Amino acid sequence: MGAEALLDIQNLKLDLPDGRRLLEGVSFQVQVGEALGVVGESGSGKSLTAMSVMGLLPGLRASGQIVFAGQDLVGLPDKSMRKLRGARIAMIFQDPMTAFLPVRSIGAQIDEQIRLHQPLNRREARARTVQLLGRMGVPDPAMAAKRYPHQLSGGLRQRAMIAMALSCSPDLLIADEPTTALDVTVQAQILTLLREIRDEGAGVMLITHDMGVVAQACTHVAVMYSGLVVERGPVRDVLDRPLHPYTQALLAAIPPLEGPRPEQLPTIPGQPPTPENRPSGCVFAPRCSFVRPDCAVRPALIETEEGRRVACVLYAA
Amino acid sequence: MSVLLEARALEKQYRLGGGRVLHAVSDVSLQVHRGEALALVGESGCGKSSLGRTLIGLTHPTSGEVLFDGHRISGLSDRALRPWRARMQMVFQDSSAAFNPRRTVGESLAEPLRIHGRKNIRARVDELLDQVGLARSVADRYPHEFSGGQRQRLNIARALVLGPDLLVADEPVSALDVSVQAQIVNLFRDLRASLGVACVFISHDLSVVRQMADRIAVMYLGSIVEEGDGLEVLDRPAHPYTKALLDAVPRPDRPLPPPLKGDVPSPVNPPSGCRFHTRCPIAQPKCATDRPSLQPCGEGRRVACHYPLVA
Ligand SMILES: Nc1ncnc2c1ncn2[C@@H]1O[C@H](COP(=O)(O)OP(=O)(O)OP(=O)(O)O)[C@@H](O)[C@H]1O
Ligand SMILES: Nc1ncnc2c1ncn2[C@@H]1O[C@H](COP(=O)(O)OP(=O)(O)O)[C@@H](O)[C@H]1O
Ligand code: SF4
Ligand code: SF4
Ligand SMILES: [Mg+2]
Ligand SMILES: [Mg+2]
Repeated sequence: MGAEALLDIQNLKLDLPDGRRLLEGVSFQVQVGEALGVVGESGSGKSLTAMSVMGLLPGLRASGQIVFAGQDLVGLPDKSMRKLRGARIAMIFQDPMTAFLPVRSIGAQIDEQIRLHQPLNRREARARTVQLLGRMGVPDPAMAAKRYPHQLSGGLRQRAMIAMALSCSPDLLIADEPTTALDVTVQAQILTLLREIRDEGAGVMLITHDMGVVAQACTHVAVMYSGLVVERGPVRDVLDRPLHPYTQALLAAIPPLEGPRPEQLPTIPGQPPTPENRPSGCVFAPRCSFVRPDCAVRPALIETEEGRRVACVLYAA
Repeated sequence: MSVLLEARALEKQYRLGGGRVLHAVSDVSLQVHRGEALALVGESGCGKSSLGRTLIGLTHPTSGEVLFDGHRISGLSDRALRPWRARMQMVFQDSSAAFNPRRTVGESLAEPLRIHGRKNIRARVDELLDQVGLARSVADRYPHEFSGGQRQRLNIARALVLGPDLLVADEPVSALDVSVQAQIVNLFRDLRASLGVACVFISHDLSVVRQMADRIAVMYLGSIVEEGDGLEVLDRPAHPYTKALLDAVPRPDRPLPPPLKGDVPSPVNPPSGCRFHTRCPIAQPKCATDRPSLQPCGEGRRVACHYPLVA
């Protein structure tokens, strides 16, 4: 990977005060101009990882490293974290209603976000807001800025939230399921936008459960399972030739949009473990069809070929 | 195959304040055959749920009629509808809402049986749990003790209690993880094969629809714009809107084509002529003035377009 990563997460662990471990050791990097897709089942720790980078998890104890632009964010004081948030690291969510107050126009809220980090007066801030909304493909952006969140369609609200997140040209954009609640037609517009943002040199971390979205919007992918990254690598490699049995099973379970229609879809037996009953060996072992005795020792995430890593005994040297 | 459910020229309008009227379902005619699976697809707000609810009498149509097993059920009072209710059931997306949190799931499943005076209730509950792939022992547990996928199985069991001929399932798998989704998709297939129950699936996910449905009806702004055999429609779409929906699905094997322009117009003031003309990439002048009707287009297919993509 050569150059220093924009975001370098090493062995991130996250514990509840009662000692339960929610993240077991997450490691991945995001380079400038790259988009990393983070995929995995519900509860696998995708959002917790994102929130850790944002420093938005009061009450949980993080250990390991989250190095952003050379600075370790683990244990960084709130005040310094607040300076980074919004200015250099921004986040968008599945439900844009969580990002906007219902009682103020979206324009006023984006203006305010801009003025928090830049010395602009109201008029200048509004001009920038309107410009941003226009770039996001919002029709009649000056009018749209005057609207309240509930007066916009879901797709427009999502674009307004992205406009707000991009208002300070962040170096890293974290998007947690930004298109899950949207129609495919609107999703296609948002994915095109995310691509442009990346082309302009930001790093993107995109959480999704949709492999098609990963294929379209990401350069790299990390597959999470039960609080761990079990496989990661360049998107094309992982999707065309998944190595980890979990990644293989996940891809196989998607019904095909072309070709023969299978009688039955392949499924993964059982359910993911809760943090309390996570196996001490390979976390996927209870559901894995390749399980063998040496899976009882937790396999490390090792490099199998240039840029690809997998945590599975089948690929141990 | 005989017709189980038929809708004729259904309209569903909602009155908003200020004399405005929202056209949620406009002039929909369709048939569901016994044991068949029909999918309703389209963007959010196009009227899929409104149509689904009208089909099984959960809401009254503004005009038009619904026939179930040859009998007119639209416009019946709740009381007159009751005997039919047992034969048509709804499965919702939010699987947690359907069960009383303070009752064991066994009690909840038994309740409709008791109300309808059925015998051998315990045996029937066991049979239902077998059918949806849950252990019989779960009858003694409470709803919060189940995962999303298990709750959706319970929800399906609840819909099957009285042995319906028709299930209407509104986004039955969209809240589930892919791996769980695959289990529920398979379960619906098994149930249709073993019980012969007909299904109307409402979904926005085209690959799920392709796997689950024999036939699909694509809706845009309250109307069906294309209808036909599921594989045929998705493999060779005839309506430009169907094609646009398919093009927008992100896939590993090809870059996204340019997205459809604009948003769905308001169902309060739908466009003149073909309702899709404001976004259609191949619209002609005629499209803005003449509304195309749903016409036969090849074997078992209907399409509402002046310039269909396949003849
Ligand atoms: N504040 C908390 N207290 C206790 N457990 C928590 C807390 N936040 C998250 N968890 C648990 O940590 C695990 C990971 O949660 P997280 O929200 O990161 O999952 P996710 O991968 O984003 O899932 P989804 O796809 O459902 O959004 C889950 O088991 C969740 O129940
Ligand atoms: N009870 C209601 N009152 C007013 N408008 C409604 C009501 N229910 C649905 N609508 C409107 O009718 C249209 C169709 O809604 P719906 O059938 O829920 O669409 P879909 O299920 O395809 O998303 C939408 O514009 C929706 O906002
Ligand atoms: S380590 Fe063993 S149990 Fe885990 S994924 Fe590999 S083969 Fe399966
Ligand atoms: S009738 Fe005209 S506008 Fe409507 S879908 Fe066909 S070509 Fe497009
Ligand atoms: Mg999440
Ligand atoms: Mg709906």
